[in-house]
Amino acid sequence: MRKIARKSFFLLAGVVFLAISFPAMAKNLGSNLEYSGYLQTEAWLKVYNDESHFSLSSFKNTVDLETQYKFSDNWAFFFHPRYFYDAAYSLRNDYDSNFDRNQEYMGHTQRTEWLRDCYLDYTSDKLDVRIGKQQVVWGQADGLPFLDRVMPFDLTKYWLPDFADIRIPLWMVKVEYSPQINSTLQFLVIPDFEASRSAPPHDTFAFKSANDFDTFKKVNLRYGGTNDVQIYRPSTKLKNSRLGLRWRSMFAGIDYTLNYLYGYSTSAYTYTDSFIPTANPADPSSIGDYKWSRRHKIMQIMGFSFNRTITNPGPFEGLTIRGEFAYLHNEPTYYGTQGHRSYTEKSDKYTYVLGFDKSYFTKWDFSLQFAQFIHNSPTFKGKHVLNTYTYGLMDKVENYLTLKVSTDFLHERIKPEVLVIYGDDNDGRISFKTKFQATDNWWFTLGYYHFWGPAYGSNGEYRNNDQLVFTVKRTF
Amino acid sequence: MKRFFIFGAVVFSLWFCANVKAQGLDYYKVYKPKQGMSADEIMQIVYYNKYSLFARDYQQIGDVYYVDPSGFTLKRVWKRERAIKGGKDGISYKDVVVMTYPSEIKGLAVLTWNYQDPRRQQDEWLWIPSLKKVRKISASQNDDAFMGSDFTVEEVSTRHFEDETYKLIGEKVFSGYKFERDGKIKLKGKSCFLIEAKPKRPHWYYAKRTVWVDKDTGSEIFEQYYDKKGRLFKTLFREWVWYPVKDKKYPTQISLECKDLRTGHYTDIVMRNTKYDQGISEYDFTVKALMRSRW
Repeated sequence: MRKIARKSFFLLAGVVFLAISFPAMAKNLGSNLEYSGYLQTEAWLKVYNDESHFSLSSFKNTVDLETQYKFSDNWAFFFHPRYFYDAAYSLRNDYDSNFDRNQEYMGHTQRTEWLRDCYLDYTSDKLDVRIGKQQVVWGQADGLPFLDRVMPFDLTKYWLPDFADIRIPLWMVKVEYSPQINSTLQFLVIPDFEASRSAPPHDTFAFKSANDFDTFKKVNLRYGGTNDVQIYRPSTKLKNSRLGLRWRSMFAGIDYTLNYLYGYSTSAYTYTDSFIPTANPADPSSIGDYKWSRRHKIMQIMGFSFNRTITNPGPFEGLTIRGEFAYLHNEPTYYGTQGHRSYTEKSDKYTYVLGFDKSYFTKWDFSLQFAQFIHNSPTFKGKHVLNTYTYGLMDKVENYLTLKVSTDFLHERIKPEVLVIYGDDNDGRISFKTKFQATDNWWFTLGYYHFWGPAYGSNGEYRNNDQLVFTVKRTF
Repeated sequence: MKRFFIFGAVVFSLWFCANVKAQGLDYYKVYKPKQGMSADEIMQIVYYNKYSLFARDYQQIGDVYYVDPSGFTLKRVWKRERAIKGGKDGISYKDVVVMTYPSEIKGLAVLTWNYQDPRRQQDEWLWIPSLKKVRKISASQNDDAFMGSDFTVEEVSTRHFEDETYKLIGEKVFSGYKFERDGKIKLKGKSCFLIEAKPKRPHWYYAKRTVWVDKDTGSEIFEQYYDKKGRLFKTLFREWVWYPVKDKKYPTQISLECKDLRTGHYTDIVMRNTKYDQGISEYDFTVKALMRSRW
């Protein structure tokens, strides 16, 4: 606790120092320097469904600063640090629980993620170059990352936060060349590597597969078995760089892109390298000495995206149609039976999303998406393809439907939105979010996330985990 | 035969380019209404000036104030750049509006292509900082509030000359408008044409508006909006001045005020840092340029 208190003190002192001194420093650097930032507190409360009491899932305090210095019209430097401290792990009084033990991993900013952006920008009519830590976003879909796979993801709060916060930035070189006015070739070289993150076992948004694996390891130990998990990451050599290519252009009023990404998967996949059963025949057959590894494998993503708004008069005037398709080649895939992984093998998948957006009445925006996730090889050696998050059985074709409705009141001071994501097997979630602007710099958000579905569903695994979220933000 | 076709195509292109007009007027010229003009001719000049079609490009910063009846005020600041395309590829002008204040929406940017054909809707792309992504968006309904203000979308950017019918109802001297932001009386004594404009749409958010057109700048300086029962429900004031640009002068809006008389809420916009004909590159009005956003 003393360590936590000391850390909190230094963090608070740093924030106060920053808030007081930065405007003065910025003034001295003149109009070429621009900055903004915020202090934010967000509280997540688990509120519903099982017999457990209300509990604080997260009490996250964040300081964020974005600064830009323009050397000239063509050259600029952008720097964006962010740090958070999640006090829920020290505020809750369930010491020595699984939740409490996750503090080291979940309680504060991890690894290099405190630096959200740090890059040098060169911009001109034909050529843009951005060198440094940054995010690159592909695709047209909302909330479904089919083509948006350049960056690793931080899924410690599942897919609920804004996507700009979910993506983990990487050091890279991005070159964009425009041979014509509305056509651009983007080339990416990404020598940096970060693995996607997920919540540790038994945390609020831990995946069922992680919880079950952790439980199994404990049982194995209890019966005399051993567990050895090795994590292999691609070494940081230039030859291991991920490469991306995207062509964007317009044809007959349609914006389209062609995309290609080559390199190591940002997600790690579990492999069973060896298993020696225990000598005691009284033990369950699965007990023994295990060697597992978590590995990233070379894969390729090829795809395209498009959008078009119908601007000519007629019944569909104002309708925006957008879509994306991705072919995932050689992505590691789990095969097994419900709740049990037997093999990890490379396979191919096809995904696509079609979206339709339209404003109706006054100030009401509707956005509907239909998506399919198709497994080229739904079985392997008699075993069925599994959901990575839950080890639940998946169909050859998985269907998703999403609907987002948003509007505003009181001159955009109150902005409510509802997002429904519905998948096969009655698996889904609904998110309500209302943002309120109190003054120019004070913002409040109230949100509620409701999950439903079978225990092995991507959303159903959190069906006892509804969350009420309250956020206070002070911007500067 | 082939030569004949090429020659024909060139002649047709030259003829087409020479005849591309905005609201019936040639691009890149300054027009002023004259005594004896019809209501339609005057309003053609009004729309031409409203969208700055006399210039090659312009940029402006707008300080926007949303004020409720108690005096509580919220501020926004945007930067706008516009390139007038003069009908090239059917496009009248391209716009980029970037929000720079408050911090929460800093970086939010909208790229708009406005077409020559008044029946055709705008194409719009939105840079969303929370997603770090460009989204093609459906054009807002024309009667939606423009970015939460008291102005509707069409009052700011989408109303065309062809959307209304016009009747000249007289000439008057403008008695001045008290601008709430600084309390000053503005444009007092301006000699105006008084025009009644009625929307062609049968059911629209207003039944008619009375437009005061400044004879000097050819711009609408005051509008009164009436509902179906003839009740005045909204007023819109625009302050126009002549802005010197090299050897020319352009009519320029420097402040606007829109009052909703039903709620008492009003929106003020004060323009600053206006620049014309800076040679802004057309590449600044592309999706790629929108994606350069750092916020």
